[in-house]
Amino acid sequence: MPEMNDWDWEIDAGRRWFRWELGDLGRYRDLLLRLVRRDLLANYQQTMLGAFWILLQPILTTLVYWVIFGRIVKVPTGSAPPLLFYLSGIIVWNFFSDCLNGTMYTFLTNAQMFNKVYFPRLIVPLSGVLAHGVRLGVQLVLFFGIYVYYAFSGAVPAPGLDWFLLPVFFLLTGLFGLGMGLAVSVLTARYRDLDYTLQFVLRLWMFASPVVYPAGLVHGALRPWFWLNPLTPLIEGFRAVCFGGAVDYTYLGVCAFVVILILVGGVSLFKRQERRLTDFI
Amino acid sequence: MGDTIIKAEGVSKYYRLGSEGAGRFREDFGRWWKGAPRGEEAHIWALRDVSFEIAEGEVVGFMGANGAGKSTLLKVISRITQPTQGRVRGRGRVASLLEVGTGFHGDLTGRENIFLNGHILGMTRAEIVARFDDIVDFSGVSAFLDTPVKRYSSGMYVRLAFSVAAHLTPEILIVDEVLAVGDAEFQQRCLRKMKEVSSEGGRTVLFVSHNLQALRNLCQRAFLLEKGRLVATGEPGRIIARYLEKENVHFLRQAYDDPFSAPGNEVIRIKRVELIPQFVGSEAVIDIRTPLDLELEFWYTPPFAADLIVGIHLFSLAGDCIFDVSSPRTDVSAGVVSGRCAIPGNFLNDGSYYISIVFVNNTTTRLFYFEACLSFEVADYRENTSWYGKWIGHVRPDFPVRIFPSAEI
Repeated sequence: MPEMNDWDWEIDAGRRWFRWELGDLGRYRDLLLRLVRRDLLANYQQTMLGAFWILLQPILTTLVYWVIFGRIVKVPTGSAPPLLFYLSGIIVWNFFSDCLNGTMYTFLTNAQMFNKVYFPRLIVPLSGVLAHGVRLGVQLVLFFGIYVYYAFSGAVPAPGLDWFLLPVFFLLTGLFGLGMGLAVSVLTARYRDLDYTLQFVLRLWMFASPVVYPAGLVHGALRPWFWLNPLTPLIEGFRAVCFGGAVDYTYLGVCAFVVILILVGGVSLFKRQERRLTDFI
Repeated sequence: MGDTIIKAEGVSKYYRLGSEGAGRFREDFGRWWKGAPRGEEAHIWALRDVSFEIAEGEVVGFMGANGAGKSTLLKVISRITQPTQGRVRGRGRVASLLEVGTGFHGDLTGRENIFLNGHILGMTRAEIVARFDDIVDFSGVSAFLDTPVKRYSSGMYVRLAFSVAAHLTPEILIVDEVLAVGDAEFQQRCLRKMKEVSSEGGRTVLFVSHNLQALRNLCQRAFLLEKGRLVATGEPGRIIARYLEKENVHFLRQAYDDPFSAPGNEVIRIKRVELIPQFVGSEAVIDIRTPLDLELEFWYTPPFAADLIVGIHLFSLAGDCIFDVSSPRTDVSAGVVSGRCAIPGNFLNDGSYYISIVFVNNTTTRLFYFEACLSFEVADYRENTSWYGKWIGHVRPDFPVRIFPSAEI
């Protein structure tokens, strides 16, 4: 038989950084969309409240935070109406933590499937992030519905030019959750004892981000560190655009840089380890 | 036979045993912190230096005992796990079917799951849409298409899952033991479908099964793995015989209900071949004294009237022919034909043997050669002797040798 050089694929023992095989992702885009659909259908078709739950969860959380932090602790919310203030923090934080939580157990929750069939593993976390993106979209409709009410009553400024930044904020939030999640998923596949630690860290992280209080409350030596958390410029930027205020472009730039760095690192680590990890799980 | 479509070179796969799977972060971190190296760990070579080439359109069966590395090899080729050494190169799309219904979601309807499972197996939306009706027809669950699959019976579930898989059209299809599921009637249908896929679709199929009938029936070439090494490749009948010898399992009977999927061709289809030992004594062990009755039945549909000869070839596992006996020329008409051959006791020596059956008409035209269709082992039996060494020879007939006392000189 003639020796041919036109092989379509090659499987070898190498484990290289930066072999991302993005072409494969394109070929499986139908699977990507189908998994997003599965996520949404399977989660909401069977529950009693159905899709309504997507809205109910942030509404209830907002009300509780409003009562506890607004009324009892009396955290100042500046010029922003408290309802929108808490809702904005909760929406961004939830999107981030959903993306992270949905991604960081990729190998554990899909072990059965990963052991039986090949498809680009990145499809699974990507589909999760997209499904959370759809949820985010629904929650944003609620947010802007309330926003319009306040805008007409004059409590918040009308939309301005800087609204073009809004998609950037949400994109960076999702990519940050994805990048972190991909890196952590490699750890959770190997170390089952990390679960409690991670959930604990995640809970502390929420209080280290300006979700239930404005970033303006943090002063002094702590301030630069506080703003290095990529979520700080994202949540605060969202609020500044909607409630009137200055977006801190320096920290937003730093945030974008950090997010891209973490995403590249996360994808590389994930791709490097994906087939090796099948042997552990 | 076409060009090479898969080429494996020196593929090895090493597994560490024990500690790593249940890793604890604290321990690993501590070890790393102290700079202590990993100790020598228990390990196993699941594959060792496996090399082969498979041509386009070939159907190859992989055989071996449990743990011989068949499934690991298929997983390497499917890109599920990574080899420790070596490489595999290939051309065309690969779809692997290591179980049916991968990714099925119980809460979703049959319709949704057809798409979900199809995409997971690598089909595009357009391909599934084009074959959707065929998939539904083949599965026979069309009435329940909009019911969540968790309400399906297990039979319906498997049928739907297999139907999706059966309509895959990759260049290379990898199948592992999926025929072990479902009821007998459905299994027949699956076998037929597999045959159709390989013969009409011209697709390359890599197939692992413990179902020797299926292997014999579907494959053109068989690979035998032992402890991770590829020890033999070749014609399925011969490889099966070798496998049976190694595994010490024997094959005294093959029977088929469905002429379509039975081994054979348009003239001869095997219905049943069976070796019935007439045990001597209380133990059900074939020993050198045991007479063996060979019975066979086959469907015969001759294209024109001609006489038929059936021959029985008995081989040692080393491949030496012990005997070749045949029936007289007989005029038989179309229908189920039966035959019988009695192999007497006190004839074969102890050892392992296999039987092939040849069908000839018009004295010289070979209609079908049913190779290595039966195999058996003959145990030793001795009395009135205190010698226990290996008795040599293929046959051990019981006719007397006499010596006479010499006349005194």
